[in-house]
Amino acid sequence: MAREFNSQGRHEPNVPSNTITYFLKEALRRTWASKRTSFVAVAMIAISLFVLGCFLLLSENLQRAVERWQGHSRVTVYLNSEITPDQQRAIDAFLASHTELAARRFVTKQEALARFKSYFTNLAEVAGNLEENPFPPSYEIELRPGIAQSRGFEALMTDVRKLPGVDQVQFDWEWTRRLRRIIEVLNIIGIAAGGVLAMAAAFTIANVIRLTMMLYHEEIEIMRLVGATERMIRGPFLIEGLLQGTLGGIVAVAVLAAGFFAGQRTLAPSSSLLWGFLFGCFLPWQKIVVLILGGTVAGWFGSWLSVHERREEA
Amino acid sequence: MIHFYHVTKRFDRYSTALHDLTFQIEKGEFVFLTGPSGAGKSTLLKLILRQITPTEGQVVVNGRNLNTIRRSVLPFFRREIGMVFQDFKLIERMTVFENLSFILTVLNVSPREHKRKAYAALRAVDLHHRMNAYPLQLSGGEQQRVAIARALINDPLVLIADEPTGNLDPDMSQDIIRIFNDANLRGSTVLLATHDRDLIRESGRRVITLEHGRISDEKISVGERAPARSDNVFGLAQ
Repeated sequence: MAREFNSQGRHEPNVPSNTITYFLKEALRRTWASKRTSFVAVAMIAISLFVLGCFLLLSENLQRAVERWQGHSRVTVYLNSEITPDQQRAIDAFLASHTELAARRFVTKQEALARFKSYFTNLAEVAGNLEENPFPPSYEIELRPGIAQSRGFEALMTDVRKLPGVDQVQFDWEWTRRLRRIIEVLNIIGIAAGGVLAMAAAFTIANVIRLTMMLYHEEIEIMRLVGATERMIRGPFLIEGLLQGTLGGIVAVAVLAAGFFAGQRTLAPSSSLLWGFLFGCFLPWQKIVVLILGGTVAGWFGSWLSVHERREEA
Repeated sequence: MIHFYHVTKRFDRYSTALHDLTFQIEKGEFVFLTGPSGAGKSTLLKLILRQITPTEGQVVVNGRNLNTIRRSVLPFFRREIGMVFQDFKLIERMTVFENLSFILTVLNVSPREHKRKAYAALRAVDLHHRMNAYPLQLSGGEQQRVAIARALINDPLVLIADEPTGNLDPDMSQDIIRIFNDANLRGSTVLLATHDRDLIRESGRRVITLEHGRISDEKISVGERAPARSDNVFGLAQ
């Protein structure tokens, strides 16, 4: 006896495991069948995510450098070489009276010279031959967290600068502030460039899926006529886009990592401060996951655009 | 089971395939649809499968008005209809077995059952030895038999066929008609479009004759009624 017609068929049952297997098999088969177009789609995703990854890597390393500097944010108060003991005592008392200054350390002229010799060993001989020690005495002042950004602190530093015997006051957080701005700009440029490229990549995937759907239009028609649901028809195409996007993301991270570690090995040891900062460390795993997921989402979006459009045509 | 109410189908201003057609086919009936080429047979079958919609009138299949059927319900409706297409509509990149197995995947049949059901269906059309062949490696007649096996594999509620014996020799045609008879005995309503007057003549079945998109004749053919039910070749009627 033939089965009764399922008039309540408006809700599809859950996708069984054999359907998911079918989706995956079909997606992999179609990707393999159109290798060249799939390669273009994967490459587009990989390039866009690589560009985004470069910016992320750059800002990540700069961010770490800034955090490292800011962790021990300090002010250096350079004194006149001819400062009198009274003037120094007055300065010391003034600094001690302000609680926002966490700690201070007096660096003598001799200590400054010794530091210079230890930091710049190739110039140590030149420094040793000098008739007179050119390095001024100074106070290195550690700041309490968050003080550097406060308004009152600028006024305090203006007061310090006016003290008799003070030659110069140097804030190193000015650099970090500028670097922070650079990082912000880098992040914006990276997100904008990566976003535009990711959109372009998504549209490339959309076109690849569109081409594949045109290639399989007879099969799709047969599927519809024998009662395949739209989910069954669209599933493999969506998975195809998703796989291409994910693969693009993985390729981007792999190329980025290869470039980074090669650069770290060959460029960073050249004792340049810049290279040291740029090749400090690779992206944290969270950002790697975000990059790969970015590819997955772009791939999914591209294929979704195509199957949605073809469904409307159907 | 199948009701046509004043159905007209126009493809454009100058081409009207069906004119104000009204008829009904009851549940469990076996009906031949005949007529010359261009009479509108294929159009009528397409309307039943809801490949196309009527310009005027209503088509109702199993109590469901196909003019208003929702897109989300359409696949489930089609799963209950076995259709043998004139151009077979086999998927060329799939083997014979895969063409049948694919339908079972669509119908969410467990993969463990695929081989048994596909084999049974192919055995019924005497093609079980060609399970691993591709459609292009088969003759026209063999492709047609695969299409028939595919239509029958789900033990459909309504079975419609567009020239299912068009590429077959007389003996094989009789075998195929026997398969349709079996399906009919299992409860499927059968509508079979054919040119083959010999098949119709001796069937003892109702015959609807179309000419220029109109029913020109409707009668019961002479001859014996349907043969007794043969074994359950598909093993689907549990």
